[in-house]
Amino acid sequence: MKSIVSAVAKRLATTAIVLFGVSILIFLIARIIPGDPARIALGPRATVEQVERMRETLHLNDSIFVQYGYFVGDFLRGDLGISLYTNRPVMTDIAQFLPATLELVLLAGFFMVSIGLPLGAIAARYRGGWADHTIRIITLLTVSAPAFVWAVILVLLFSYYTPLFPIAGRIHETISIAPVTRFMLIDTLIAGRLDGFLSALHHLILPAFALSLSGIGQAARLTRSNMVEVYTQPYIEMAQSYGFSERRIASKFAFKPSLIPSLTIIGLDFAALLGNAFLVENIFAWPGISRYGVGVILQKDLNAIVGTVMIISATFLIANIVVDLLVAVINPRIRYAEQSD
Amino acid sequence: MRDAPTLSISDLTLSFRNWSGVSQVLHGIDLDIHKGERVGLVGESGSGKSVIARIILGTLHDVKGAQIGGDVRLGGRDMAGMSKSERGELRGTELSMIFQDPTTALNPVYTIGMQFLEVLRRGDSGMSAEDGKVRSAEILGEVSITDVDRVLESYPFQLSGGMNQRVMIAMALVNEPQLLLADEPGTALDVTVQAQTLELMRNLVEQHGTSVLFISHNLGVVREFADRIYVIYKGRIVERGPTASIFADPRHPYTKALMAAIPRLTGGGVPDIAEESESFFDPMITHGEAPE
Repeated sequence: MKSIVSAVAKRLATTAIVLFGVSILIFLIARIIPGDPARIALGPRATVEQVERMRETLHLNDSIFVQYGYFVGDFLRGDLGISLYTNRPVMTDIAQFLPATLELVLLAGFFMVSIGLPLGAIAARYRGGWADHTIRIITLLTVSAPAFVWAVILVLLFSYYTPLFPIAGRIHETISIAPVTRFMLIDTLIAGRLDGFLSALHHLILPAFALSLSGIGQAARLTRSNMVEVYTQPYIEMAQSYGFSERRIASKFAFKPSLIPSLTIIGLDFAALLGNAFLVENIFAWPGISRYGVGVILQKDLNAIVGTVMIISATFLIANIVVDLLVAVINPRIRYAEQSD
Repeated sequence: MRDAPTLSISDLTLSFRNWSGVSQVLHGIDLDIHKGERVGLVGESGSGKSVIARIILGTLHDVKGAQIGGDVRLGGRDMAGMSKSERGELRGTELSMIFQDPTTALNPVYTIGMQFLEVLRRGDSGMSAEDGKVRSAEILGEVSITDVDRVLESYPFQLSGGMNQRVMIAMALVNEPQLLLADEPGTALDVTVQAQTLELMRNLVEQHGTSVLFISHNLGVVREFADRIYVIYKGRIVERGPTASIFADPRHPYTKALMAAIPRLTGGGVPDIAEESESFFDPMITHGEAPE
């Protein structure tokens, strides 16, 4: 237990260093791309004086090192500056948009694991049979088309031709819920509105599923190939020699060892969902951080770009830590290697 | 008249059918093991000795393209008449098997204790974790493991090859099987460790009255372990008889060649022998009972 705490602490320290690097990089890149943010924000009809005044308040006339100094000082106080795109503090924007995306990404990740892993295990258990072939063809399809294509197909099939799911939004328009955590599923429960919770879930399923489809395929294909490999190992023959049922061998003796190599990749895929969420959020009019991020980049909204990238990097890094912990939980070799450090 | 033999095989044939035709692997094997008897099956790689173990175990019956003929009886029951699940029922309870490399044969992501519990539950599905631990500790004691608690909590990669081998022997015997199949046991270990663990295994099967089919290419090891020996060459038994008698007086040309192939430390090195000879296909020779 103690070793887990120290391992996590170690990883968090590395995360802070990585974030520091990311902040320098994104800070520079945002300022190198051409275009004057003050001019873009004020529009073509603003006077030169107005633009100059704005550049002054944004410290844009100082050297880049001084600007970075201002940024770090503000950042440590929890201030990411004002977004020129929404005219609100970037922190407020992030607090509003991030939960919507996290909700989407977390459910998509859940689909990836709860549908992808069993599909892969079934394919491996019946390798060479019809179930295996069917699963491999379907997963190849889901992997080879990007999430937004699936989003459009799913909307057409399940919202337009057969109106099973809503086309857009996070909750039915007649239901208004006081924002507390801004996770709709949680806020509806806080408000004690079961109908709201169900409505929010109903709105969430289709975009999350569209987002997860290629991940489901990826997870299933990885699990299948690892597990087929595991089936050639002597310990599976040993399990067979002890007469364990094929079902038990698949779900216990072969599944867990094959999960270890898959899990790291699945973790990376999961983190990549954040980026893939952009087009899905656009198609479903989902007010999330990915859509916001693209909007601010197009506006050269410096503070918001840096803030969004930092938040997405942090989420990515935290997801990685969680995955590494999970890998350590199922892989005793890693667990004991960390202890002996 | 003795009871029905633990294992009785007669005229066992095996062939594999694939796209290029049929290849025959076993050409009519006769083999008996009586209760408490330790029988060695000796031959070179590819002679068909391992597939015999898989047929007895019943795992080869389900392989596509495998055609099994002849008669295999376990304690008098005909295996050919059994369903897949009936054959599965026998494994881990009346039959168990020990593999070549103990470290890869144990599951890498479960503790020894967990794996023991699973095996124990093959014999008694209601066994509790505590009872399982007590029973595992008992049998681990029998293979001279002293720090039982540590071993039960360990993963296979944390134990030495010799330790894993003891664990595997204990696991194979914990449900008191009628017949133990040992396929090249400990060949992956170094010679001294192999000798130690085989000694343990012999004592254990003697105490428990377990019959053993001991499969090996190593005549020296088989000589130490088996009461009776079958020599197999290219899917045929070429010579059979009591161990002492065969070693004292090998009569079949192949057995002679096999014995001559043992490298000697004292001069000569690896001997020169024909890889194949017409005489290896001479008819089977059966030795009488060993002189008392």
